[in-house]
Amino acid sequence: MTAAIWAQGLTKVFASGVAVDRLTLDVPAGSVLALLGPNGAGKTTTVRLLNGVLTPEGGRAQVAGFDPATEGDEVRRRTGVLTENAGLDDRLTTRENLRFTARLRGFDTAEADRRTDRMLARFGMAERADDLTQGFSTGQRKRVALARALLHDPEVLFLDEPTSGLDPAGTRDVIDLIQSLRGEGRTIVLATHFLGEAGRLADFMAVMHRGELHAFGTPAELADELFEGIGGSIDLGGPADDALVATAAATAGVLSAESSELGLALRLVDREALARVVAAAVDAGCAVYGVDAHVPTLEDVYFAVEQRIIETTGDRVNDAFLLGEPAGPGESL
Amino acid sequence: MSAADPNAPHPPARAHPREKMNWAAIRTVVAKDMRAVRRSKAIVLPMVLVPSLLLLVMPISIGLFARSAPTDQVTTALRSPLVQNLVEPILALPEREQIVVLVLGYLLSPLLLVIPLMVSAVLAADGFAGEKERRTLESLLHLPISDRDLFVAKVLGAFGPAVAITWVGSVVYLVVSNIVAWPVMERPFLPFAQWAVMMIWVAPAIALLALGLLVIVSSKAKTTQEANQLGGAVILPLIFLAAAQASTLLLVPVPMVLLAGLLIWAVALGLVIVNARRFTRDRLASSS
Repeated sequence: MTAAIWAQGLTKVFASGVAVDRLTLDVPAGSVLALLGPNGAGKTTTVRLLNGVLTPEGGRAQVAGFDPATEGDEVRRRTGVLTENAGLDDRLTTRENLRFTARLRGFDTAEADRRTDRMLARFGMAERADDLTQGFSTGQRKRVALARALLHDPEVLFLDEPTSGLDPAGTRDVIDLIQSLRGEGRTIVLATHFLGEAGRLADFMAVMHRGELHAFGTPAELADELFEGIGGSIDLGGPADDALVATAAATAGVLSAESSELGLALRLVDREALARVVAAAVDAGCAVYGVDAHVPTLEDVYFAVEQRIIETTGDRVNDAFLLGEPAGPGESL
Repeated sequence: MSAADPNAPHPPARAHPREKMNWAAIRTVVAKDMRAVRRSKAIVLPMVLVPSLLLLVMPISIGLFARSAPTDQVTTALRSPLVQNLVEPILALPEREQIVVLVLGYLLSPLLLVIPLMVSAVLAADGFAGEKERRTLESLLHLPISDRDLFVAKVLGAFGPAVAITWVGSVVYLVVSNIVAWPVMERPFLPFAQWAVMMIWVAPAIALLALGLLVIVSSKAKTTQEANQLGGAVILPLIFLAAAQASTLLLVPVPMVLLAGLLIWAVALGLVIVNARRFTRDRLASSS
């Protein structure tokens, strides 16, 4: 599959230190990359580098076939960006904000108006088209900013914290929208604090910490790398006795077995091993009330990577991120 | 996709390409900025009030007072050390015309140079520091407009209105002053050559000079207010200097006025070129 985004050794240094350190990644066209990490990880700087807003001190990148450092305008013609702060000019109306972007993207007046009207309708903002954006709610601002990012049908979309500040309904709308955009074949980079939304959307995940990329791949690939087998649990209505634990441990495909509050906690090579343990439990006369095979989620993978970061660097990862809270303003683009 | 050597030195970033200016994009940014400025009371009010004061209230009130001043007061005024340098050309006029020409032609009209200074400074602060303050700079930098075109748009967005307002204001001042002075002069006394050169040639140079200074200040400031405050420290002394020297410019031969204007243009253009070289996305994004 062709890479829509490719970077090798990309490095950005500010006066305050290294913001992005030798970033290397390769994102196939039409996929969703979740760029994860706490405040100051370098997510926003990465987006800026990939869109040619910042010039790297080292390394190379290509986005939609162009080098952002030397062909920035060509890249920006093919990308759309939703910044964490919507970046709307509050002295302009919704329509004027969109039309300005459309004109700057090279559309003539008629085409700019047509695209503006289409986006206003798509994002449910037609009724507020001629209102100044000052006083709009966070959700409305996000919708206008998303409409602006999509005006020109970009090949690549950079979405920085697209759901921060949104209520649950707004969050669901944005996630649905991103899913529909993926269906249209666009490549999406989702820089986010929210593991839930990333887990629902991402084909690939990149975990950054202090400018360094600590993990990159599909969640399944990273899970294979980080975890031995899958987790499983069997609800027996109470702790399993020693005999059943020993039987389970001796079953083919079981890596480990131990008694838990509700029954058995297992590590398994695959889901079939779980079925064999259930059969053994039934043969032993146990009542089985529930079975759960736990395939590692993106969230599990993230926290495992984070644990590895803590072990290798001694750094404590920002608590705000662990709790899934939105970024502070200092983190914004 | 072929992998490049990550350790290879990066090519010089964004040296301004020898490609054509994108005037459509420049016009779009200027038009957007103008539209936004028109809706901002904090910007429109001083741009209306100050010129109104300088172009209407002052020439009318001071002109009426000067017109009715008794002759002995005129003589006293002309002997004042404050206007010693101006006396010679004025003394050549009939006695009853002297005070009117002195006040409206030589003392008050140089204050018109405050207009290009103020308008370009206010608009430059809004156009450069204001984008940071409103947090619209980031989204602008993610659009396909070259650094050079964006800079040109921002400069033109401040320089154009400053010159336009100054020139329109000069015509207004000219008309008002001639009307106020008519009962005494019975002929138009403005513009005279030096006055016209100052307004057409020197005033735009001063607008560009103020703009150049404000762009430097705005790159350090986070808000429009901060830019204006920092700018005030630079611009205000310039205003006093301009007002003080402009009267002298009106008395020297026209080539001297042209030369003075040329010097100001040279300094102003130098500042603009330095600013243009420093105006890069990388720098803007790193400081926002």
